[in-house]
Amino acid sequence: MTSSLVVKNLSISVPSSKGRVAVVDNVSFEIPAGKKVGMVGESGSGKSLTAYALMRLIKSPVSIDGGEIFLGGREILGLSPKDFRLLRGNEISMIYQDPMSALNPIMKVGQQIIESIQLHSPVSKALARKTAIELLASVGIPEPESRIDSYPFEMSGGMLQRVVIAIALSGEPQVLIADEATTALDVTTQDRVLTLIDKLAAERGLSVLLITHDLGVAAQFSDDIMVMYAGKLVENGSVNQIFSNPAHPYTKALLDSRCDYTIDVNKPINSIAGQPPRPDNRPTGCVFSPRCAHVQDQCKTSIPPLTSSQGRLTACFRADELFQVGSAN
Amino acid sequence: MVLVFLSIRVLPGDPVLARLGAATEVTPEALQALREEAGLDRSLLAQLFSWLSHAVRGDLGVSYISQFPVTQLVGERIPVTLELTFFIILLSCIFSLILAPLSILKPGGKLDRFIGSLTSIGLSIPGFVTGIIFILIFSLTLQWLPSLGYVPITEDLGKNLQLLIMPSVTGALTATPYLVRYLRASMLEIKQSSFIRTAEGKGLSDSRIMFRHILPNSLVPTLTMLGLIVGYTLSGVIVIEYMFGLPGIGSLAIEGAFKRDYAIIQGVSLVIISLFILTTLLFDILCGIVDPRLRVTKERQNEI
Amino acid sequence: MAITLAAPILSPYDPYAIGVGEPFVGPGWKHLMGTDDLGRDLLSRVLYGGRITVFIALAATIIALIIGTLWGMIAGVQRGWVDEILMRTADATMAIPQILFALVCVAAVGASVVSLPIVVGILLSPTTARMARTAVVVELASDYVVAAKATGLKKSRLIMTEVLPNIAPQLLVQLSINAASAVMIEASLSFIGLGIQPPNASWGTLMLQGYGKLWNTYWFVLFPALVVTATILAFNSYGERIRVSLDSRKSSI
Repeated sequence: MTSSLVVKNLSISVPSSKGRVAVVDNVSFEIPAGKKVGMVGESGSGKSLTAYALMRLIKSPVSIDGGEIFLGGREILGLSPKDFRLLRGNEISMIYQDPMSALNPIMKVGQQIIESIQLHSPVSKALARKTAIELLASVGIPEPESRIDSYPFEMSGGMLQRVVIAIALSGEPQVLIADEATTALDVTTQDRVLTLIDKLAAERGLSVLLITHDLGVAAQFSDDIMVMYAGKLVENGSVNQIFSNPAHPYTKALLDSRCDYTIDVNKPINSIAGQPPRPDNRPTGCVFSPRCAHVQDQCKTSIPPLTSSQGRLTACFRADELFQVGSAN
Repeated sequence: MVLVFLSIRVLPGDPVLARLGAATEVTPEALQALREEAGLDRSLLAQLFSWLSHAVRGDLGVSYISQFPVTQLVGERIPVTLELTFFIILLSCIFSLILAPLSILKPGGKLDRFIGSLTSIGLSIPGFVTGIIFILIFSLTLQWLPSLGYVPITEDLGKNLQLLIMPSVTGALTATPYLVRYLRASMLEIKQSSFIRTAEGKGLSDSRIMFRHILPNSLVPTLTMLGLIVGYTLSGVIVIEYMFGLPGIGSLAIEGAFKRDYAIIQGVSLVIISLFILTTLLFDILCGIVDPRLRVTKERQNEI
Repeated sequence: MAITLAAPILSPYDPYAIGVGEPFVGPGWKHLMGTDDLGRDLLSRVLYGGRITVFIALAATIIALIIGTLWGMIAGVQRGWVDEILMRTADATMAIPQILFALVCVAAVGASVVSLPIVVGILLSPTTARMARTAVVVELASDYVVAAKATGLKKSRLIMTEVLPNIAPQLLVQLSINAASAVMIEASLSFIGLGIQPPNASWGTLMLQGYGKLWNTYWFVLFPALVVTATILAFNSYGERIRVSLDSRKSSI
């Protein structure tokens, strides 16, 4: 299977009192066609920025310092802004966190979809309108023929997010990025929206990059998982591998700190001691070393590369040694 | 809206003050005679009510000096003022709609800062100074435009416009700096909002985003502001009419003030303030047209 | 902006320093600003006129400050219906076009160096009042006030010693801006002949005299005009800079 999306050595920096510092540091990954990948990590780990870089929506003072991005085999960072604009929304689209504010409040919902349709293909207004109604139907909005003339303030969060999805799909993209797309929704709606995305992805052969800090959502939805920490990609593997058998200390600690109704309420929560480092204060060596329970001297001086370990990629020197399948940890 | 009614009430207070002033300037006997004739010997409040009730019926009293009914004088001159005000508002809007988007193409950039300095200077130049400069350049030096006078539209459209260009532009230049600043701030705020990001994510071009998304959303708060700016401009219109020899109600007010003709002052004040209130109302209605959210109250109540 | 700030500020101060009389000099072109129709040196007249204009403006500003601050503070402290009435009145007054208001008042009480500051001061006070009220309300809600009240500090003392100094910077900004407006209004009024009358001359009056002679003596109007603009600009810039530094101080807290 060819890859829809290939990212190589992507680095993004912001200005700080110490000069420019990396907020996304040398990140590389691939998303094969038709796969659903969940990117998880805390706030500030760089996941949203990575997504924006894919859409080339990074604005000064944040800037992309290096790397290459291949969309359907075509390198996009090198394209002129004008050329890339033809692809944005067309080959690659994005849906966002807060549906209530994601749409122009004084423009009819249908008009916003039609605007997108007509942008990506030269069709008449009438045909565009028809397509918009079909799109609304396919995202599960009831009575699309009348809803097409509604204004955003007349619709609920869940419905608005569906409209956003409709807009995102209007150009028939290869890749869909969902940036915390369900975070602002209640749990039931969340579930419905995710199911919808799942269905549409399957129907249209879409690759999906789901960005979330919610491990549960990621587990439910994704085929593969990428774990981000402090601007670096620390682990990348299939959802089963990652969740049942993490191979990076951070991932393991993250999973250990989960709470559900089966835990013993009398024991303290297993949180990870310390805080993620600020971008201008990154440690030399492995970025997780200050908080890692298994840290060694080597970890403090050199940056562990993403290497293959037990069928997935992980950025830890001691992965093979620490996380044998079946070992009691 | 409450402001509106209050200001109508406050306004007659001023001319009453004016009347008080009149009372001290004439000899006692003549004063007594005048008083009885004009009803000034009745209590102040009674005068006020009497005047108001007349005004509502369209009778603004008779000018002390000229003996013409004030209503007639006002009626003759209002078209001039209305035409001038209309052009000023039109030009201000045009100027602002050019300058503000240019400003926010690159916020903080050279063009933006340049426009910012222009607005600073524009705010600081008194209206009549701009007028003077224009007259200097266009009437005296270049001999392009005449500086004084007015010709009604019905007589000669060309001449009418020719005589109105300089006053209108002068007036527009007093209002534009405020409008540009406000519009710019509003647009800048909108530019940062989420739905603009969605629009970019669709792949829309910058100009389309600017004009179909940012601008319409910035209009609503600006329209309200525009109402206030018009009020400020009306002040300037008074001076401009006088300067350029336009026979509108502004210059009528000035003449009245010179001659201490209180009937005129009162009448004109009422009309000017009413004009202001009407314009504000007009803009409120326009807001409702542009922003669908403001229209819906009744329907929403039905939904619930 | 710093340059524009420094240079114009010198000009309003000049009249105080020099205080030149009006020498009846014969017509001569070696004068910096030329001479007027009677052969008087224009520069001196401008400087002298500046004294009057600036005096009126500053007097008006101070009056506006006092009235406005009291107005706003009473409203802000008392709240309730007192607040409502006071603020509605302020809004209504603000709604009346400025020159119209001034025109009416001048028609009633005549224009002089005494009456103008009062009229303009009253005209400008509502904006100060609104601002003062908001500032007072904000301050009263803040922690140190609650703490002070807890120690049993008497209300009026509290206002004087604690609240007032804290809203002073904002009042200063308003002061600058009001000064600019005052200059503009006075100049406009005098220009249309309803302000300062000859032989006294403020900048506005000078411009009026110059306007009549526009045909062959452009400088008569031009120089006062430039000076007026520069002064207004200076006041405005000053106010802006204070406001900007206020904002940056607030955000760094």
